[in-house]
Amino acid sequence: MNAVFSAVFLAACLLFLVNDPNAFLPAMLKGAEKAALLALSLLTVYCVWLGFFKVLEVSGLSEKLSRRVRPLAKKLFRSDDGIALGLASSNLSANMLGLPGAPTPLGIRATEAFLRKNNGHAADMLFVLNATSLQILPTTVIALRLAAGSASPADIFLPTLLTTLFTTLSGVLLLLLSEKFRRPHRRHGIGQSRLSFKRSMRT
Amino acid sequence: MNFVALLIPALFLGLFAFALVKKVKLYDCFTEGAKEAVPLILSVFPYLAAMLILSELFSASGLADMLTGFLSPCFEFLGIPPEIAPLVLVKPFSGSGSTALLSELFAAYGPDSYIGRCAAVAYGSGETVFYISAVYFAGSKKKLARPIAVSLVANFLGVVLGCLLCRVL
Repeated sequence: MNAVFSAVFLAACLLFLVNDPNAFLPAMLKGAEKAALLALSLLTVYCVWLGFFKVLEVSGLSEKLSRRVRPLAKKLFRSDDGIALGLASSNLSANMLGLPGAPTPLGIRATEAFLRKNNGHAADMLFVLNATSLQILPTTVIALRLAAGSASPADIFLPTLLTTLFTTLSGVLLLLLSEKFRRPHRRHGIGQSRLSFKRSMRT
Repeated sequence: MNFVALLIPALFLGLFAFALVKKVKLYDCFTEGAKEAVPLILSVFPYLAAMLILSELFSASGLADMLTGFLSPCFEFLGIPPEIAPLVLVKPFSGSGSTALLSELFAAYGPDSYIGRCAAVAYGSGETVFYISAVYFAGSKKKLARPIAVSLVANFLGVVLGCLLCRVL
C-alpha cells in the first residue's frame, strides 16, 4: 500500500508541477471532501446495518444460519474462531445478496478478529473474496442500463455472473498459489521479508 | 427487478418478527448495534481520505489518461475495447468514479452496444480493490501487496473473459 501510494502520489505531483501547479491543492481537497461526504453517507448505512446485524445476533438467528456454512468457512479461512467465522460468513452472504453497504462493517470486524488471532491467511482470503465481487445480481448496472434506455437491461446478468464466478475462483486459487510459493523463498535465503511480515502481523 | 426490491424489506420484516418471537428487546438491541457505527467510521476515515485523495490526484493529474493511452494497445490485443480502458483503470480506486464513467459510456455508445455491454460486465464483475483494502485493513500493519496483486490480476482476467463472453453470448 505504501509503495502504491508513494508511486501514484509522486507521479501525479510531477504531472501537476509540469502542467497545472494551481490545480494540485484543489484536487487534494476535492478528494478529502469526497471522503468526508462518503464517511457521512457510510455512517448512515452502517447505523442501519449494524442495528440489523445486532438484532440478528441477539435473536440467535445468525448463530443458526452460520452453523450451516461453518464447516466450509472453517476450511476456507483455516480458523476456529467462532465469532470471526460468523462475521465472515455473514459478510459473504450480504455480498452475494448485494445488500448495499451491508458487507463492509461485517468485513471490517471479521478482519480485525482474524488479525487479532494472527490469522493472516483468513484476513487475506476474506479480502480477496470481497475484492473480486461475489454479487449475484448486478443491481447498479441493471438500473443504469435501464436509465440509459436499454432494450433489455437484465441481459447482462449471465455474462456478469459467469465473469464474477471466474474472478472469485481465480482470486482464491491465485491466493492459495501465492501462499504455496512463499515457502521456498525462505529456504533460498530471501526470508527477511517473510520474517518482517510475521513481525508486523504481531503488532 | 421486483424481487430485488422486495428482498430488503422482507429481510427486515422476517428478522424483526423472529426477534420478537424470541423476546428480544428490539429498540435496545437495534440502538446497541447502531452505536458501533461511529467508532467504526472514525477508525476508517483517515484511510478513506488518503485513498480518495489519491484517486482524485490519479484522475485530475492526467495520469489516468496517460496510462490509458499507454495501455489501450495491450487491452486491444487482449480483446478489451480501448474505449472501456479508463473504466478498467479507475474501477479499483473509486466506486463513484467508475459509476460515472459507466454512465458516460452508456450515453456515448448506447447500453446495448458491444462496448456498452463490455463496460457493464467489467463494472459488474470488478470491485474497488484499493478502497476495500483501505477500509478492511484500516490500522493494521499487515503487508498487503500479495492479496492486492492477486485481486487485481483476478479482476483483470475477469475483464478479458467478460469481453469474450459479450461477443459470444
